[in-house]
Amino acid sequence: MTPRPAPAVLAAAAAIAALAVAAVAVAVAADGVKGDRELGQYLSSECVTCHQISGRYDGIPPIVGWPEDSFVEILDEYRAKKRENQVMRSIAVKFSDEEIAALAAYFGSLKPKTD
Amino acid sequence: MIAITRRGFSAAALAGAATLALPAVLRAQAKPRLVVIGGGPAGATVAKYVAKDSNGAVDVTLVEPLPKFVTCFHSNLYLGGFKPWDALAQDYKLAGYGVKKVNQMASAIDRDKKEVRLADGTVLPYDRLVVAPGIDIDFASVPGWSAEAAEIMPHAWKPGAQTQLLKKQLDALQDGATIVMIAPPNPYRCPPGPYERVSCMAHILKTKGHSKSRIVVIDPKDRFSKMALFQEGWQNHYPGMVEWMDPKMHGGLKNVDPKAMTVTTDLETIKADLVNVIPKQMAGKIARDAGLANASGFCPVDPTNMKSSQDPSIFVLGDAAIAGAMPKSAFAANSQAKVVAMAARGELTGARTFPARYANTCWSIIAPDDTVKVGGRYEAKDGAIAEVEGFVSKTGETADVRRQTSEENMGWYSGIVADVFA
Repeated sequence: MTPRPAPAVLAAAAAIAALAVAAVAVAVAADGVKGDRELGQYLSSECVTCHQISGRYDGIPPIVGWPEDSFVEILDEYRAKKRENQVMRSIAVKFSDEEIAALAAYFGSLKPKTD
Repeated sequence: MIAITRRGFSAAALAGAATLALPAVLRAQAKPRLVVIGGGPAGATVAKYVAKDSNGAVDVTLVEPLPKFVTCFHSNLYLGGFKPWDALAQDYKLAGYGVKKVNQMASAIDRDKKEVRLADGTVLPYDRLVVAPGIDIDFASVPGWSAEAAEIMPHAWKPGAQTQLLKKQLDALQDGATIVMIAPPNPYRCPPGPYERVSCMAHILKTKGHSKSRIVVIDPKDRFSKMALFQEGWQNHYPGMVEWMDPKMHGGLKNVDPKAMTVTTDLETIKADLVNVIPKQMAGKIARDAGLANASGFCPVDPTNMKSSQDPSIFVLGDAAIAGAMPKSAFAANSQAKVVAMAARGELTGARTFPARYANTCWSIIAPDDTVKVGGRYEAKDGAIAEVEGFVSKTGETADVRRQTSEENMGWYSGIVADVFA
């Protein structure tokens, strides 16, 4: 079992995470892409059934830490059925532009683990 | 007036320290409580996501007797020699998110008192309860078969000793052997599973150089998931080995005899060397005992959030639930869990909620580097979960596509176990 982190550690981690989110929000705003990160976080839970949140590759490509414009472009191509994978076409087809932007903001804000 | 002496001040300071320490306890008691019954891909995912996304604002307890979870998904790959047994065992690494895991069986739910009683008598009060016990096997549904008979004619439809027994029996077969599989009626866990299992058994026989062994499938259905794909695959990889019989051909299953190792249908009595009985299934006992199931043996739910139709404080998901067009699969259970986690957090902490989205994909291995898939997206529609977009692999696909799908299947396993258990 993973030992439970001490509250102080959790609080520090939360503070760092909050700073990171704020930094991302600013970056996103500067780019003019209005991704709702909270919506992105919920939608992302669907993606991480296959794409590991750690960025690890075991047969399915990692999607964390991508530039947002590439993320949007690729999902857009799946939605338009210009890319082949059936699973991704089916996942992408019901996403709105706003939802794709939210996902791009969320995954773009994460960094692959390097352990 | 009370004079503050040095001693008195110390006592006051101590009392102050105590009150500083106290809120943590009080907060713990005042926190909304979520109890989750069942630590599979449905329950463990809900526990993890509620604990993680509420940042400790919800008290989350996961009730699951197994210290390590053995996945039913990919257990056919173990039968087929594609994965070792140990690769199916997953450690729970959820404590870091704040999930309290209790290694016990939940024995009863008191819906009036909102309490779960555990096997050792412990009582867990809840504000919201998640019921995800998976399936139970209906031993009475096949004449001549029983829990005891399953030690001779295994079902291997819940992972563990049954799966290992079936593997041992399969590996011991000599050329010229007859395997009979009794396929289940709808609805059941993992719709393509029986036919993937046939493929994995055929692969073992082929690998051992069997030329005379055969696999007979007695099916109560006249069609099955990915039917054209499996039948094409069996013809390509195992010509003449698999004989699938629908009710029009066998006329109905009459009984099995574990002592004589026979299977009798309206058409014939087959003497078998291995019989795999995959019978009718139902929601786990605790869900049925709590009155959450209907006459079908499974639990009706609100399609917008997987909430039990019988009780607004309870969510039912995974294989135990009636999820409309969604199959009973680990992927579907994990997908439903994200919806439940969001809905439960919304009710317990006022967190934002979004419209439910559901997805599924089931990969099935037919032979090495030959894997196919079926899946779709689902939404709540007209009171049920309906498919809004679907796909299935095509017959005649190139070897390259099938190899990519095989790789995707392995990647999915790593992905979902990381998502559920770590």
